[in-house]
Amino acid sequence: MTDLSVSSVEKWLGGNHILRGASFEANKGTIVALLGASGSGKTTLLRCIAGLEQPEGGRIEIGGNVVLNAEQGIALPPEKRNIGLVFQSYALWPHRNVFDNVAYGLKLRGVVGEEARVRVMAILEKLGLGHLSERFPDQLSGGQQQRVAICRALVYEPRVLLMDEPLSNLDAKLREDARYWIRKLILELGICAIMVTHDQAEALAMADHVLLLESGVIIQSGSPIEIYSQPATFYAADFLGANNVLRGKLTGAGAIGGEGWSLEGVVRETRPLALGDEARAVVRTERISIVDGPGENHVQMQLDACLYLGSAWEYRLTRGGLAMKAHGVQQLAPGEVWCAVPRDAVWIFGL
Amino acid sequence: MATGGIARRSEGQVYRVAVIAALVLVVMTPVGLILYQSFLDAPFFDKTARLSLEAYDYVLTDPDFWTALGSTALFAVGLVAVAVPLGAMLAFLLARTDLVGKRWLEPVALVPMFLSSIVLAFGYTVAIGPSGFVSLWMKETFGFKPWSIYSLGGMILIGGLSHVPNVYLYVSSAMRSLPSDLEEAARAAGANIWRVSLDVTLPMVLPSLIFAAALNLLLGFETFGIPLVLGDPSGIVVLTTYIYKVNGIFGTPTYHVMAVVAVCLILITLPLVYFQRLLLRNSRRYAAVGGKGARATPLRLGPSGQVIAWGLIALWLVVSVALPIGGITVRAFVDSWGEGVRLRDHLTLAHFAHLLDTPSLYRGIVNTLVLSVVGGALAVAIYLAIGLAGHRNKGASGAVLDYMVLLPRALPGIIIGLAFFWVFLFVPFLTPFRPTLVSLFVAYTVVGLSYGLRIIQATLMQVAPELEESSRTTGASRGRTWRDTVIPIIRPGLVGAWSLIMIVFLREYATGVYLMGVGTEVVGTLMVSLLTSGSMDQIAALAFLSILFTALGLGFALRLGARIHD
Repeated sequence: MTDLSVSSVEKWLGGNHILRGASFEANKGTIVALLGASGSGKTTLLRCIAGLEQPEGGRIEIGGNVVLNAEQGIALPPEKRNIGLVFQSYALWPHRNVFDNVAYGLKLRGVVGEEARVRVMAILEKLGLGHLSERFPDQLSGGQQQRVAICRALVYEPRVLLMDEPLSNLDAKLREDARYWIRKLILELGICAIMVTHDQAEALAMADHVLLLESGVIIQSGSPIEIYSQPATFYAADFLGANNVLRGKLTGAGAIGGEGWSLEGVVRETRPLALGDEARAVVRTERISIVDGPGENHVQMQLDACLYLGSAWEYRLTRGGLAMKAHGVQQLAPGEVWCAVPRDAVWIFGL
Repeated sequence: MATGGIARRSEGQVYRVAVIAALVLVVMTPVGLILYQSFLDAPFFDKTARLSLEAYDYVLTDPDFWTALGSTALFAVGLVAVAVPLGAMLAFLLARTDLVGKRWLEPVALVPMFLSSIVLAFGYTVAIGPSGFVSLWMKETFGFKPWSIYSLGGMILIGGLSHVPNVYLYVSSAMRSLPSDLEEAARAAGANIWRVSLDVTLPMVLPSLIFAAALNLLLGFETFGIPLVLGDPSGIVVLTTYIYKVNGIFGTPTYHVMAVVAVCLILITLPLVYFQRLLLRNSRRYAAVGGKGARATPLRLGPSGQVIAWGLIALWLVVSVALPIGGITVRAFVDSWGEGVRLRDHLTLAHFAHLLDTPSLYRGIVNTLVLSVVGGALAVAIYLAIGLAGHRNKGASGAVLDYMVLLPRALPGIIIGLAFFWVFLFVPFLTPFRPTLVSLFVAYTVVGLSYGLRIIQATLMQVAPELEESSRTTGASRGRTWRDTVIPIIRPGLVGAWSLIMIVFLREYATGVYLMGVGTEVVGTLMVSLLTSGSMDQIAALAFLSILFTALGLGFALRLGARIHD
């Protein structure tokens, strides 16, 4: 069931076109990640859904109710949209303790007294905060504050949960745990969640559906696996993962080459490319391996240096104008090596 | 559902527009009335009054008016010339150096700002006036007295010294946000501390210096107490005292002449206020460069520097704090003084006993306390209502509000009081309120508007936008968000604002000059009217009480941690 439907949302801010017709739908029990670099409009899109920004065009429905219809001049205020929003800074009210922070949404909906207490304590217990209900926000750690913010947004069972960079204020270890338990919680509760993030690992790990934004346009959407392994554009290919970008010319129907090198690949460019056109290829570092000798799509390269990264070694490879990075488990001596680059790992785009 | 939403959204809008419309009415009515009156040939309530430029013709051809205008300009410029360098130096010493004792020095240095200029001027009269304590002592000891405060020079010096804190406040807050590495670089390059202050610190805070100069120029044009007490005996008249005196010259109410002078004064002050607004925008832009990461390490003065700095500050403190306050304190407790009189033998509480005996003076004390404590709290509530209407309001109504708040700054208290006197005299349903404190309260609220709103707005800005947004997304309307989230968070700031407004209302004297009547006496204005009858004993006792109340209010404000800085 579609809980959130966004269509052709347009937003201008001081002469800048921030959102250029963003459209997507999200269903109950799924997490949608809005992924993009800073300035891509992802947070603006989230704030438009929440009603904190007024888009100039488009239509938004939450749980079947029209909350925005720019043409008819309908724009419900945030409090009428039946949403929960988790802020990047958590925005816990400093004058209320944990219990009152969480209970406020229930109070506004007329739920008070024993029923409110039971519901607030239930969600606090669920997130392991039961013993902190009397504390004030400034007496909590960052991780605890974040969990309170999630409790506060969920306790009144909104149709849509919106999260603005929910993990960015946590330190690295907590963040990895949070990815897991937030996803588990949302699936358990079966609600529709929208999350804004600039961290691709977060988006890939937590979401069922990833929307990749560039300059206010959703340039690709799909499951995390599709987004990562089937990029539709050079921007998408380059934005995700750790990449080598090789510049050269199209030397065959599916081949790219430069001075002294040539690789078979797949053309992913949507525009037609002619033989001899300037082209570039994206190769994820994890797809390159060092092999014993020549073979299909093997290139001989000079290993310049070998950097220790802790979990792996990084190889710095060159051949004429070509430079690549690859990862491996062992230290290698500098010198001539052979690299294997599978044909389906070389994604060729125009320039 | 959808239409309900629209209604909700406009609910906040309705509130904003209603509050701002009420504000426009309260601010524009007196201004409009003055402007209208200035173009009539008789009081506006007179049936025979016709539109005419007669009053302008009279004022603009009156040599006394031009003399007053000249004196006003000289006084204001002189005041700036005295106050700005001293204030900037004080700011540098207190904000940028390791001066010993600067923590307790700051509140002391601000004292002249919190005293009304009528109290200060009276204090100087009894201390260093022709028969003041210090003057007499000088004559006894050395046989001569080398000064005269009843002159334009004396007025300028006293006005300048008492406005040093106003300069200090703006310049020091700019200096505090300056990163120290700029000064440290100059020291490392070989400049001594005084060179650093002249070559590095001052140029960096130039915008705030210009702002302080503009502000004090404005205050100079609007001053009433100092020219009244110090200028009047030797016939020096400025625009505010010209308005005050003009009735006496004609013997009949000359509302149209007073209105014309008021209009002339506003024509000078309004551009100054507008200029300040422009400056403030630019200096904000400057301040952003400083950033919050700026580390402020105080410059080391060294032993000789400490001595020089303390010498200068002590001299200033003696002249601008100890002299007037000491003078009033002594004068309030003695019944006779003069050459060869030992003050110790003439100590008395009679002046205070007399205050309690005289109903009008006693009422004045009670009314002043009621107006400042209760009225101050009400005024803060009103400023809060206005502040919320402008809070995160980027629409046209927000801009209108900005200008409405700015306008009263161009109006000296005496003119605001005069205009409201007319309003309460002749608007039918308001007439019953004229002989009550309500009329004074309304005028005081307008007088304190820009100061009060600046405090409230600064407090409101401290609430992070997300705290309000999270309340909205949780399901609270705009009004509910204000009530449940914004106001509880800023409550300490509101109490601080209350204490500061209390002081503003305590020291006010000019606003009541026309509004005050039997039953609505206030301490400040009583002093003005007692001046005419020369009842120095009562003035001294009232001035002493005024200082005492202000000190209590200031102590209360500091205890609450009120931010005197913007």
